Order: sequence, then structure tokens, then C-alpha cells
Amino acid sequence: MKCGVKFCGGCNPHYQRGDAYRRIASDIPEIVFEHAEEGVEYDVLLVIGGCTACCAGYDQYTVKDDVIKMWSEDQINDIESKLSSKL
Amino acid sequence: MLMTGEQYIESLRKLNTRVYMFGEKVENWVDHPIIRPSINCVKVTYDLAQDPEYKDLMTAKSSLTGETINRFSHLHQSTEDLKNKVKMQRLCGQKTASCFQRCVGMDAFNSMFSSTYEIDKKYGTNYHENFKNFLKMVQTEDLVVDGAMTDPKGDRGLAPHMQKDKDLFVHIKERREDGIVVRGAKCHQTGSINSHWHIVMPTQAMREEDKDFAVAFACPTDAEGMYMIYGRQSCDTRKLEPNADIDLGNAQYGGQEALVVFDDVFIPNEYIFLAGEYEFAGMIVERFAGYHRQSYGGCKVGVGDVLIGAAALAAEYNGAQKASHIKDKLIEMTHLNETLYCCGIACSTEGYPTEAGNYQIDLLLANVCKQNITRFPYEIVRLAEDIAGGLMVTMPAQADFDSDLAVGRNGETIGEVCNKFFAAAPSCTTEQRMRVLRLIENICLGAAAVGYRTESMHGAGSPQAQRIMIQRQGNIEGKKALAKAIAGIK
Repeated sequence: MKCGVKFCGGCNPHYQRGDAYRRIASDIPEIVFEHAEEGVEYDVLLVIGGCTACCAGYDQYTVKDDVIKMWSEDQINDIESKLSSKL
Repeated sequence: MLMTGEQYIESLRKLNTRVYMFGEKVENWVDHPIIRPSINCVKVTYDLAQDPEYKDLMTAKSSLTGETINRFSHLHQSTEDLKNKVKMQRLCGQKTASCFQRCVGMDAFNSMFSSTYEIDKKYGTNYHENFKNFLKMVQTEDLVVDGAMTDPKGDRGLAPHMQKDKDLFVHIKERREDGIVVRGAKCHQTGSINSHWHIVMPTQAMREEDKDFAVAFACPTDAEGMYMIYGRQSCDTRKLEPNADIDLGNAQYGGQEALVVFDDVFIPNEYIFLAGEYEFAGMIVERFAGYHRQSYGGCKVGVGDVLIGAAALAAEYNGAQKASHIKDKLIEMTHLNETLYCCGIACSTEGYPTEAGNYQIDLLLANVCKQNITRFPYEIVRLAEDIAGGLMVTMPAQADFDSDLAVGRNGETIGEVCNKFFAAAPSCTTEQRMRVLRLIENICLGAAAVGYRTESMHGAGSPQAQRIMIQRQGNIEGKKALAKAIAGIK
């Protein structure tokens, strides 16, 4: 399964978004994570926001299944469950 | 094509920019220890645009070419773009704790784009097309452009044409078939040396008698006849000292201002955006100032974030972090800082499209934003100094902490003595404590205070300039009508 990853711009993140991403990627090695690019098809898109606004735009990406958004490190376990359930 | 940070630095080396400092010409200004931190600061705007964690803010789709460009050269296409501008500036402030210099160009692009459209509409000139072609080049080559507005102005009681020395306002000295020759200077030019090009704009509204002073144009930073004299900053020569990394507070980044002189510089027709249409000088100034007053609701907030963090660390290193008054001061600093951010976001949210199609901020709210900026950073600085304690300005030099010179009765070195007497809570080393106190010094009254304090006061216009705009935009008559209706006054 291929998961595109899109970060918000990080103007004032309330947690370390990069660390959160690396933890999720390392906890679910069965999923191929990569920074989302236009013109590439992804099974799932993970949008990582730094705060509740989770303002990152993602309409430009091609996603087959689902867009999953997170904006707090407290959500990491839930996000991992959601992603794992799609395997 | 986006440049990398390294490519940006190499691009500066290719320019023949003439820089003077301490009465001498600086040949290798790119690597000069006083100048380089300011170049590193601009480099951050390139590095972040390449980073997946930040590119959502740092880049945008060009309305002119459809290509991905650095947001610093973007024409705002929506209120969302205006908000993203403020967010990007906060981010850059957080990453550099300094003035990153690139927003003056962005604000010049957006004010000139809409103004040239309206000038052409009235006069049938070709300035808008000139400007669009120029901006396409800037976007495609990912260039840094200085937006130069502030003239020396001489006797403030006299109009430009009344000045004894006309050079105190940039003006058209000669009109030729293929262009104009300009003369004068621009003061306080943020990042001018680090820019590939300059956009020069009028400094104030003009009357017919001043039409030769109503001039706007673009020229390369190394144009024949153009040179810069570097502006001093508090504690700047610390950057020349060996092994003074800690004493600098912020060794990597810094701001930059210079006097930019136009000593009969030829401007070809295709780079002219205003040449005598004096009634549009005020429009350009008002729009540029509006955008720039919005800008401060982002950049100063980012630097404020760093200062609040530094104050919290200083409290922790002093072992005072649990004291209720310390907590309260940090809350107050955060409250003030986020209030500034609210203003930046508010004037963006209430933005509107210009006739040319790009978005302008709400002028009243942008001026309120900047008026607060002339005050709140000073209070944030006061609170940071309160929390930090006097040691931030009385501490010995790094060279003392590093010294092996034995001075004590039992052979203790200066370094050992300093480390003994300046140790504090076990959560930190003495060096960590020094570092954070020097950072606070740097922002509050050192080199970065140029950007965080005095620039907050006078940059984008001094406080009175905002008060005039607030008076003009404040709709007092409307408010009187409201009061009359409630009070039953017919």
C-alpha cells in the first residue's frame, strides 16, 4: 500500500510533525510512505497539520481510497490503527 | 525553477555589487563575517521551500506562469494567500530570530502589480506589462528583490522640489528616448545587498511640482552607478572576534540594512513603472505600506516566539520556572505575541481583490496591526529582560569562560572561576545558560534588536503614519450615527 504524506506549512506547529511522521512510518513498515507529489496515485493520503486548523491543501493529489488528517501527536495511535486497517 | 539555498549564495557571488563598510570597499562581501549572517537568513527562505515539511507555506502556483514558485515572489490570489503569507513570515521568524529581508520585495510586487494596472488604465502607459514581464523573470529565476521606498527626505517641512539638495529624494535627472537616468538614495534598505534586483518606489504622495520625483522602476543591484553603504548594528563587531560564537547570541543569522545610492543610474524603458504620473505615488505608498504593516503581524511574531522560548529557558536554567510571577510573565508575553498574530491574520482575512486581480489587505486592520507592533515587542522585550535577570548584560565574555589563565590562590583558571560563579540549576550547564542569555541580549538590545525593536517602531512607517491611516479609515462619522440612533438624537 502506498501512502502519500502532505505536511502543512508549519507556521506554528504544536508538536514535532516530522518526528510524528517518522514514528508512524517506522511503526507500520508494511506501508510505503512518500512525500506526496502531483500526478502520482496513492492508496491513502496522510495530511499532517501542526494545529487544529490542519490547513494543508491536498486537492491536487490523486488518492484512491482515503484522506487521513492529523493535527496532534495524541492522534498517532488512532492514525496508525486507521492506516493498519487498510492493509 | 526554485533555487536551493546554496545556489542562492553562489548567485550573489556572480554580481558586481558595490558594498562599503567602515569607510572601505568590501571586496568579498558574501563571506564577510558581519554580512554573512544576513545572507544565511535569506538562504533560509530558499531552504524551507525545498523542505516537504514547510513547502506548503513556502511555495505557491504562479498566477503568471502556472509554475511552482517561492511564495516570496507570489501575487496574492485570495485571502487564503494573504493568510499564508503571514504564516510563512511567522515560520521564517521562528527559524532565524532575525529579519529575513525578503518580504519587502514581495510587498513591492503586489503593490506595483495593482498600481501599474490602474496607471495604465488612466494614461494608456505600458507600465503593467513592463511590471508583469519583470515579475515573470523574478519568479522564473527565483530572485530576491529589495522593495526600496524610504528616501532620505532632508528637511521634512519641504516638498521634494523645494529641497535645497534635490538628491534627497530619488528623481528623474534626465529623460531619454530609451529610458531615464535617476539620481538619489534610499535609506534603511533591508536586505538590499543580498538582493539580485531592486524595485524603487516613491517615498510619499506627490504633487504636480514633484512629478520628477514620482518615479518607480526596477534595476539590477549591481547596475552602473549604484552602490551601498552598510548600516551598523549594535554589537556588530562581535562578529569579527575569534571564538565568540556564544557571545553573538545568534551566530548563524542576522538582518541587514544599508544606504543605497543611485548615482546617475540609467533605467531602460522596459523597467520603468512610473515616471511622472504623480497622483499615483500616494497609491503605491499606501498599498506597499499596507502590505508591509500586515507583514509585521507574521515576522515579528516568529521572532517573538523565539524570545518567549528563550525567556522560558532562562527561567528554567535559573531554577525559577515554578514561580507564579514567571509563569504569569510568560503568559503575558504569549498573549501580546498572539494578539499581533491575530492582527496579521485579521487584515488578511478581510482582504479584497484589486482591479488588477491580486488581493489587497484590509488597510484599517493592517494599520492597527502595525500600531500594535510599535508597542508590544517593547513590552515583550521588557518582560524577557525581567525574567532573564541582569546577567544577560553583565556576563563575562566567552573568552573568559574558555580561559586557562590561572588567577586563583589554588591555581583556578578564569574559566573555572566563571563556571563556578555562573552555575545555576542542575538542569543546565553554565554554557547553556550563557547561550540563552546571550540570545536574549541579541534580540533585546544586540544586533537583532535592529529588527525586533527599532524596525518594529519605524519599519513600514513610524507610529504616526499608522494613526493618520487609522483616522482616515476609522469611520468616525458612521460611529457617530450609531451613537445618535441609540441615544435617540434626530
